[in-house]
Amino acid sequence: MFGKLTWNAIPWDQPIPLAAGMAVMLVLLGVVAWVVAKGHLPYLWREWITSVDHKRIGVMYVLLGLVMLLRGFIDALMMRSQQALAFQAPGYLPPEHYDQVFTAHGTIMIFFAAMPIIIGLMNFVVPLQLGVRDVAFPTLNSTSFWLTATGALLVNISLVVGEFARTGWIPYPPLSELAYSPGVGVDYYLWSLLISGVGTLMTGINFATTILKIRAPGMRYTRMPMFTWTVLASVLLIVAAFPVLTATLAMLALDRYLGFHFFTNAAGGNMMMFVNLIWAWGHPEVYILVLPAFGVFSEIFSTFSGKPLFGYRSMVIATMSICLISFTVWLHHFFTMGAGGDVNAVFGIATSLIAVATGVKVYNWIFTMYGGTIRFATPMLWALGFVVTFVIGGVTGVLVAVPPADFQLHNSLFLVAHFHNVIIGAVLFAGFAGITFWFPKAFGFRLHEGWGKAVFWVGLAGFYAVFMPLYVAGLLGMPRRLQHYDLALWRPWVLAAGVGIVVMLAGAVCQVIQLVVSIRQRRELRDEIGDPWDGRSLEWATSSPPPAFNFAVLPQVRGADPYWQIKRRAIETQQLSGEPDYQAIALPRNSPTGFITAFFATLAGFALIWHIWWLMAAGLVAAYAVFVWFAWRDVDEKVVPADEVARIDRDARRARARWLERNAAGGKA
Amino acid sequence: MAAPAADAAFAGDPYHVGLEGQSGIATGHGEGGPASERVIVGYGFWLFLLSDIVMFSCFFAAYAVLQAATAGGPTGRELFNPGRVAAETACLLLSSFTCGMSAVATQFRSRRWTQASLFVTGLLGLAFLLLEASDFRDMAARGAGPDRSAFLSAFFALVGCHGLHVSAGLLWLGTMMAQVFVKGFRTDILHRLICFNLFWHTLDIIWVAIFTVVFLLGLGA
Amino acid sequence: MNAAGDSDNRQGRQAGHDENDRAPGIVEEARTPGAAARSYAIGLALSIALTVASFYVLGTRLVWAPAIPVALLVLAVAQIGVHLVFFLHITTAPDNTNNVLALAFGVLIVGLILAGSLWIMAHLDRNMMPMR
Repeated sequence: MFGKLTWNAIPWDQPIPLAAGMAVMLVLLGVVAWVVAKGHLPYLWREWITSVDHKRIGVMYVLLGLVMLLRGFIDALMMRSQQALAFQAPGYLPPEHYDQVFTAHGTIMIFFAAMPIIIGLMNFVVPLQLGVRDVAFPTLNSTSFWLTATGALLVNISLVVGEFARTGWIPYPPLSELAYSPGVGVDYYLWSLLISGVGTLMTGINFATTILKIRAPGMRYTRMPMFTWTVLASVLLIVAAFPVLTATLAMLALDRYLGFHFFTNAAGGNMMMFVNLIWAWGHPEVYILVLPAFGVFSEIFSTFSGKPLFGYRSMVIATMSICLISFTVWLHHFFTMGAGGDVNAVFGIATSLIAVATGVKVYNWIFTMYGGTIRFATPMLWALGFVVTFVIGGVTGVLVAVPPADFQLHNSLFLVAHFHNVIIGAVLFAGFAGITFWFPKAFGFRLHEGWGKAVFWVGLAGFYAVFMPLYVAGLLGMPRRLQHYDLALWRPWVLAAGVGIVVMLAGAVCQVIQLVVSIRQRRELRDEIGDPWDGRSLEWATSSPPPAFNFAVLPQVRGADPYWQIKRRAIETQQLSGEPDYQAIALPRNSPTGFITAFFATLAGFALIWHIWWLMAAGLVAAYAVFVWFAWRDVDEKVVPADEVARIDRDARRARARWLERNAAGGKA
Repeated sequence: MAAPAADAAFAGDPYHVGLEGQSGIATGHGEGGPASERVIVGYGFWLFLLSDIVMFSCFFAAYAVLQAATAGGPTGRELFNPGRVAAETACLLLSSFTCGMSAVATQFRSRRWTQASLFVTGLLGLAFLLLEASDFRDMAARGAGPDRSAFLSAFFALVGCHGLHVSAGLLWLGTMMAQVFVKGFRTDILHRLICFNLFWHTLDIIWVAIFTVVFLLGLGA
Repeated sequence: MNAAGDSDNRQGRQAGHDENDRAPGIVEEARTPGAAARSYAIGLALSIALTVASFYVLGTRLVWAPAIPVALLVLAVAQIGVHLVFFLHITTAPDNTNNVLALAFGVLIVGLILAGSLWIMAHLDRNMMPMR
C-alpha cells in the first residue's frame, strides 16, 4: 500500500536530523499559523501563489534561494566543525551521516540556492530592462518556479523521511547504483532534480523567447543592456545543457528502477559514460550561473562609475564566446579518468581559452571605472570584492586546467577551494549585489547601507578565512570529503578554516540583521521616484515597485542606456516628456496551474521515491488533468482600464516632476 | 518572403539586420517592438523541440557507445526485423503527411477536414505504437529485454523514449481534437495546433535518425 | 479584448504584425488548399524515396560495403533536411533567420555531444586494461 515507506523511515535514532526536522516543522507551522490567523491567506494566494507576474515570481525565486542558502550554509558549518574536531578522532558526525551532509550541501547550493537566486534576478529584471510588460509565457513561468520549489521540498523532506544520497552532489556510478546505494537517498536526489530540471528548462525557453522576440520598439540587439545579453547567453546554455542532465539522470533512474545496465558493473554497463555525460551538463551549468553574475556586475560598474560600460561590443562578443566555448571544455572535470594525453590536451587548451574571454570582461570593467566618478555604495563594494576574488579563483582555475597539474590536485581541497572561490566570488557576491541593487525597485525602499557594508566586509573576510587555508591544505595533499583525518601536517589549516566559518556565520547574521533593520526603517529608506542609484537602463524609468503592467506605454528606444538618455533630456529641458495617450492594457490572468501542477509533481516524486505506484499514477494523471483544465479556460486575460492606467502613471509622473523641481538648481550629476 | 515595399526599405541591407539610421523599421529581429503571439508561441515551441532533440542526442550517444556491449546476449542483427521497421516507418511518415494535411485544413478553416486528418494521424500513430509495443514484448519474451545487456538497455531507452513521446503526442492529439470540436478555431487553439504540428513532424525526424542508426546500421553490422 | 488568445495588446504593441519575422510552421502565402498541400506532397514523395533508398542500400552490392554506414547517414541527413524544408517550412530567407540560428545552435550542441562523447569514450576504452 505504501511501497517501501514505513515508520522507520523517520530517523528516530539520529538526534541531529530529528532535532533539525522538528525545529524546521515548528517554524513552518508557526509561520503558516501566523499567516492564517492574520487573514493573509487570501492575499497570499491571490497576489503571490497564483501570480504570473514576473516581478512576483522573481521575488519568490530569490526568497527560496536565500532560505536554501541558509540550509546549505548550515551543512557547511557542520562539515567544517566536523573536520576541525576529527583529527585522529571520530568527530560528532558518523560517516553515513557526514556523507549525506556534503552531498546535500552541494546539491542544495547549486540547484536550490544559486540557481533560484540568479533566476530570480533574471525574472525580476529582464522584462523591465527590455521595456516590456512580461515574459513570453507567464503561466509557464509560474509553473517553473513551483516545480523548482517542489525539488527543494523533496530534498528537505529527505531529512526527516528516509535519507539523502551519500554519493556527493554528482552521483557517480557504481556507488549510485542500486547495488551500492540500496536506500532511497539517490532516488530523492534523482526525482528532486528531474522535476526541478523541467522547471529550469522551461525558464530557459521562456527567457530565450522573451529576449529574442519581445523587446520595446527600437531596441535592437546592440541597444540591449549588458545584463540582458548575459541572461540570453545563460538561457541558451540552459536550453542546450539541461536536456543532457535530464537524459543522464533518467538513465540512472532506469538502472535503479527497471534493472537497465547503462552504468552498472555487470552486463556491459559503462560507468565512465555517466561521468562524461553528466559533466557535459555540469560545465555549462556553472556558466549558466556565472554569466548573469557577470551581467549584474556590468550594470553595477557602469551605474556606480557614472559612465557607460566600456567596450560594449567586445563584452557582447566575449559573452557569446564564453557561451559557445563552455560547451567544449567538460572533460576537464575528469582529466584523471584516463582518456589520455591528446584528449586531455585539447580540453585543457579549450579551458584556458575561456579564461581569455573572461579576462576581456574583467579589463572592460576596470576601464569602465577609469575616469568615472565612483560611488562606493554597497553594490559597488560587492563588485570590487568580486573582481579581486574572482580573479584569484580564475587563476587557480587556469592552474588546474593544465592536466599534469590537475593530476596532483584533482579531488583535493585545492579544487574545492578553487570552485568555491569562483562560485562564491562571482555568483554569491553577484546575488548579494544584485539583491541590494534591485531591492528598492522591487519593494519601494532601500536596504540599510551601514549594515550592508558590514555584511560585505565580514562576509569577504569570512570567505578568505575559510578558503585560503583550504588552498594550502590541498597543496599539501589533503583530499576532499574526509570525515576524519590523521595527518598533523593538515591540522593548522583545517582549524583555521574552522575559525573562518565562524566569521562567515557572523556575516550571515549581519545579513539577517540588515533585512530586519531595513524593514523596520522602510519609511526613512523609501525610494521616492524609482531611481535610487541614478541608473541607466529602463527598469529605473518605472516607479518602485512598478505597476503590474510595468510601463503605461512601451518606451521608444533610441540608443544604448535608454533611460539615461530620457533622464538627460528631462533634466536639460527641465520637464518630463509629454503625457502619453493612455490605452487599456490586457494582462494575463493569475492562475493556480503552476502551484497545483507542482503539488501533484511532489506527490508523484515522493511516490516514485518510495515505490508507491498507485500514488505515482494518480499524481501523473492529476497533473495531466490540471494541464487540460488550464488549457480549457476561455478567459485568459484581465483588462486594466485606460483611466486606471492613467491614474497610476500620473502618480508616478507627479513624483518625478517633484524630483525635477527639487533638483532644478544644481542639476543631478 | 517579405512584401516588395518592405524590401525597398531594406536597400543596402539584404539580410535585414537593421543598420544605423533605419530606426523603427521592423527587421524581424525585434526592432519593431514585441512580436505577434503567433511568432512568440511558434518560436518558443521551436526552442523546446530543439532542447528535446538535444535530449535524444544523449540517448543516441549512449546507444553509440554501448552498441557493442551485448554481454554475450543477442545482437541487433539477430533481433531486428527489417519488415517490421519498414512498416513502422511507413506508419509514422504517412502520419506526418496527414498531420500536414490537417494544418492545411486548419489554414482554410475547415473543421471537418481538420478533424478527419487529425483522426487519421492518430490512427497511424497508434498503429506505429502497437507495432513497436509488440516488438518490445517479443524481444522481452525471448530474453532480450532491457535488463539483458547494456546494448539492449540503450536500445530500449532510445526507442522507448521516442515511443513515449509518440504516446504523449497521441494524448495531446486527442485533447486538441476535443478542443477544436468544442471551441472551434479560436486563436489560441490555432496556435496549439501549430505547436502539435511541429511536434509531430519532429518526432518523425527523430525516427529517421533512429531507424537509420539503430535498425539499419544494426542490421548491417 | 477578453477572448482567449487575443492578446496582442498585452505586450503593448500598437503596430501591426512584423512582416519580416516568421516562426516555424506555416506558409501564409499559399492561396488555395492545393497550393498549400503541395509542399507536404513533395516532402512525402522525397521522404519515401530516401527511405526506400536507405533500405535498399543496406542489402545491395552496388555500394562498397565499408561505405554503407556513410551512405545511410547521408540519406538520413537528406531526409531530415526534406522534413525541415517541406514539413516545417524552415527557409533561409531573412525572415527565418532566428529559426535557422536556433537550429544551427541545436545542431552544434548535438554534434559536440555526439562527437565529443564518442571520441572521449573511445579513448577511455582504449586505455582500459583488457577484461579478464
